[in-house]
Amino acid sequence: MSSPSTSSISSAAATVGELLAGSARPAEDRGILDEGAKREIRRAALSAVCVPGYQVPFGSREMPVARGWGSGGLQVTLAVVGAADTVKVIDQGDDDGVNATNLRRLITGSVGCAETTDSREASVVQTRHRVPEQPLAADDVLVLQVPVPEPLRGVQKSVAECARMHAEADYSSIWVSLYEDLVHNGVISRSTGYPVLVDGRYVMATTPIPRWDVPRLHRSTHLSLFGAGREKRIYAVPPYTDVVPLTFDDVPFEVEGARGARCARCGSVDTFLVEHGSARFGCSDTEWCDRVRAGDADAEAHRAAAPLALLPEAARRAGRQRPPVETRPLPPPRRTGCADGTDWTLKVDRIGKVHGPGGAAAVPGTGPEHRTAVSPVTGAVVAAWDIGFDVAPGEALGLIGESGSGKSTVLRCLVGEEAATTGTVRLAAVDRGRTDVLSLTPAQRRRLRIDVLGFVHQDPAAGLTLNVTAGGNIAERLTAAGWRSYRDIRARAAALLDRVEVPLVRMDDPVATFSGGMRQRVQIAKALATDPAVLLLDEPTTGLDASVAAGVLDLLRGLLAERDAAAVVVSHDFGVIEALTDRSLVMQLGRVVEQGLTDQLFRDPHHPYTQRLVAAARR
Amino acid sequence: MGYSGARGGLAAILAAEDLVRSARDRGPQPWAGTEQILARFRLAVDRVMGEAGLYHEATAADAFRQAEGDPLEAAHLVRAHRSTLPRIAVSEPVDPDEMTVLRRIVPAHRTPDGPQLLGRTSDYTGRRLERPDGPPDPPAGGLPANGSATPARTAAQRHPRRFSALLRQADLLVDHPADRDDEPFDIIRRPARPGAPRSAVLASMARAETGALVGLWYRSVLGPDGHIHEVTLGEVRHGRLPLRVRHPHTDAPVTIGEFRVTETEAIEDLDEADEDRTRFDLGYGLCLGHNERKAIAMANLDIACRRFGRDGPLEQLLLLTTDGLDSGGFLEHLKLPHYVTFRSMVERKQAMREQREVAAQPTEPLGRDCR
Repeated sequence: MSSPSTSSISSAAATVGELLAGSARPAEDRGILDEGAKREIRRAALSAVCVPGYQVPFGSREMPVARGWGSGGLQVTLAVVGAADTVKVIDQGDDDGVNATNLRRLITGSVGCAETTDSREASVVQTRHRVPEQPLAADDVLVLQVPVPEPLRGVQKSVAECARMHAEADYSSIWVSLYEDLVHNGVISRSTGYPVLVDGRYVMATTPIPRWDVPRLHRSTHLSLFGAGREKRIYAVPPYTDVVPLTFDDVPFEVEGARGARCARCGSVDTFLVEHGSARFGCSDTEWCDRVRAGDADAEAHRAAAPLALLPEAARRAGRQRPPVETRPLPPPRRTGCADGTDWTLKVDRIGKVHGPGGAAAVPGTGPEHRTAVSPVTGAVVAAWDIGFDVAPGEALGLIGESGSGKSTVLRCLVGEEAATTGTVRLAAVDRGRTDVLSLTPAQRRRLRIDVLGFVHQDPAAGLTLNVTAGGNIAERLTAAGWRSYRDIRARAAALLDRVEVPLVRMDDPVATFSGGMRQRVQIAKALATDPAVLLLDEPTTGLDASVAAGVLDLLRGLLAERDAAAVVVSHDFGVIEALTDRSLVMQLGRVVEQGLTDQLFRDPHHPYTQRLVAAARR
Repeated sequence: MGYSGARGGLAAILAAEDLVRSARDRGPQPWAGTEQILARFRLAVDRVMGEAGLYHEATAADAFRQAEGDPLEAAHLVRAHRSTLPRIAVSEPVDPDEMTVLRRIVPAHRTPDGPQLLGRTSDYTGRRLERPDGPPDPPAGGLPANGSATPARTAAQRHPRRFSALLRQADLLVDHPADRDDEPFDIIRRPARPGAPRSAVLASMARAETGALVGLWYRSVLGPDGHIHEVTLGEVRHGRLPLRVRHPHTDAPVTIGEFRVTETEAIEDLDEADEDRTRFDLGYGLCLGHNERKAIAMANLDIACRRFGRDGPLEQLLLLTTDGLDSGGFLEHLKLPHYVTFRSMVERKQAMREQREVAAQPTEPLGRDCR
């Protein structure tokens, strides 16, 4: 949104008085918001209608009410309301709350529109925390005051990261939070502001309206505009738009209910009830309550529209399951096979990485024959240069070398954690191997890590979220890949954990409580969760005690044989490479100095550097 | 009743307003006129102007009186007032080198170019509470013609060369490639989020609540995190700058007034591996009115944000957590009724209890939300 330029105003008039007269500023609005600001807000609201559920930034102005007291809703209302409108304002469903009273006074005072408490007469309803019980008409606008517009804030504190997650529809962390909630509490314990998926695209915060009101936004006839003044965001649910609460397919979304509760004033059992005196309930919507008492409400239509089918029913809940005692064995993977006309799943060509200036110009004078990786020309570090290999399904390739030889750099370039200076990477799963993976956008490359590339880090903490359960860590990968059945996710996680020999009684414990070896097993299970075609292992046993490492190595050997993935194993330890791989590349100072079948290299190393590595492994 | 009960809410609100008005405006003491407030409470008025982001002394003074001396409330009044005003012109860029200094100190040098000009400050006065019975007697012999006991300064002394110019001359400052001369980020018209240009961070700090900035700075000193250096101040100035706009007919810049600012340059030691450790860098702070605490915190946080802001939380902290209206408003919203959301929470507690067939400690959900 660009600032209005001054020249268009200043060229036309001479005095400040004329300038003021020339800028559209009706006298009645002088109290709160100037016309230019209203125009900006309307533009933002129109953008919001065009992209349902997307948070549109806007130049939120300071209002005569505190930020948090409806300054966003007030700006939206002032921007859309005209003198011919009739406005209703509620807080907690009540027309007479202090906040509602105060806002109504400000709106009607500055716009000169009519006010009402009857939803049927209102053309604009501004509300905090409720959707009126009376269904709104097709032309009506519901303006909701929003304290916190970001549905992901609870799972991600960085606003830049939240923006990225929305842009890429990367919502697995909020799914994991629902999974964890179910594991720990047996129900989804989120109360108000329940996250919803709007129009199948954006996850949106439903302000803090109760869950009771959430289904009432789904395909509603009216327009809902959400104004967050403090955080400077407007978003919208246009009429007839899908609004679907986030929950697993087999876990019912529940609205608030209390057994046998009815309104102590009007007797309704199909409204949102709040505590009313001790041990009693009353309608939070005071207008509806009064009209039911007066016999002026279409109770039948209301009952038909009320979310009674979503009242809690313990029998339907997935329940707080114990970890499954028995699991079915992990089913065999489905494979895409090789790239067209080839026999590889992964092909890396002439990959190079230079840290520092010069790019390819930094390469001459570096490498094993010069005994340095530092460029004599530019001072840059040539971490890896001219590395190429391909890997077939079911094959494991080793990259071995001392620390600093560039083997992990190659792996990081491959997976996208570092940008390669040169080279290409092709995957059978991407465009049948015709597209260079390095040419993809960062978002596309992140996507590959969900179901094409599995990565096992040396440090389990780099691949796991430590405060999340073992099952939840696997659920992160599965939900990212689109899994939406709680039972299926748990069954798959249990099968994976069982396969990597993590006791299932630990499935619902946070991995922070696990030993190093156990964490590494969970990380391996997570990497295998979606049966990726390519498995990348970076020093998978290096951080472990010798006896624990031996167990993990045995496990990996079995898995590589069984899962039919193309694997790349990086290690400084010839023992690991020998145990896991068929072919190997020996790297020194960023170059490949020798390659061949692993057992031959191990038996009969030619290069002196390889001989040293082999000798070290045999000690 | 009156809080959220039956009609009568408005009457209660009006009664509450009346209590404020009658005690504040119709008490037994003489009315505090705008001029009176400007003369007696200069620093409070300056702070209001800075945090409001609007320079007009009389407006800020009126807000200060209406807010019963609460500077944040006064800044809110001024900002809400500004929301009613159309923007009819944008000033020409201000050149801080044009400043006529009223006060200027250079802690990094004993004898800088130009004077160490203490000016109007109580920095060097013992903080002893004075309890006078009435206005003090005029000094014996009367005031000098210019109202000050010291001789008038020359124009050159009022426009001293910056200490940083000396550093630059000695090749001791990192030479930043000149930024593209983009339009500054207008935080009033566009919400600034991490990834915003430096001008957005500077504007956010200039308008921030003073205490929030100082607190954020000090958190790095004695808090559990942060690695902001303690800088050496090269320049602390308070002075007057001309304000120019282009004439609507002739398009020539015309000076339409003056405003006071506080300006600080902070010299930063560079010690990261990828930095030029043989040179210094400069942090910059400038805010409306006389508010040295704010300008100094701002200069230090500016250089810290340029060095570490994107890699850590500092940029988000500066852009999104230092505005007094935002933080204060959100805190105050807790006073609003929350019984709908609370009822929903109670219902979930009961649902969780129902599900307690399995003995295991329920733990906190991974994501927690504000309501």
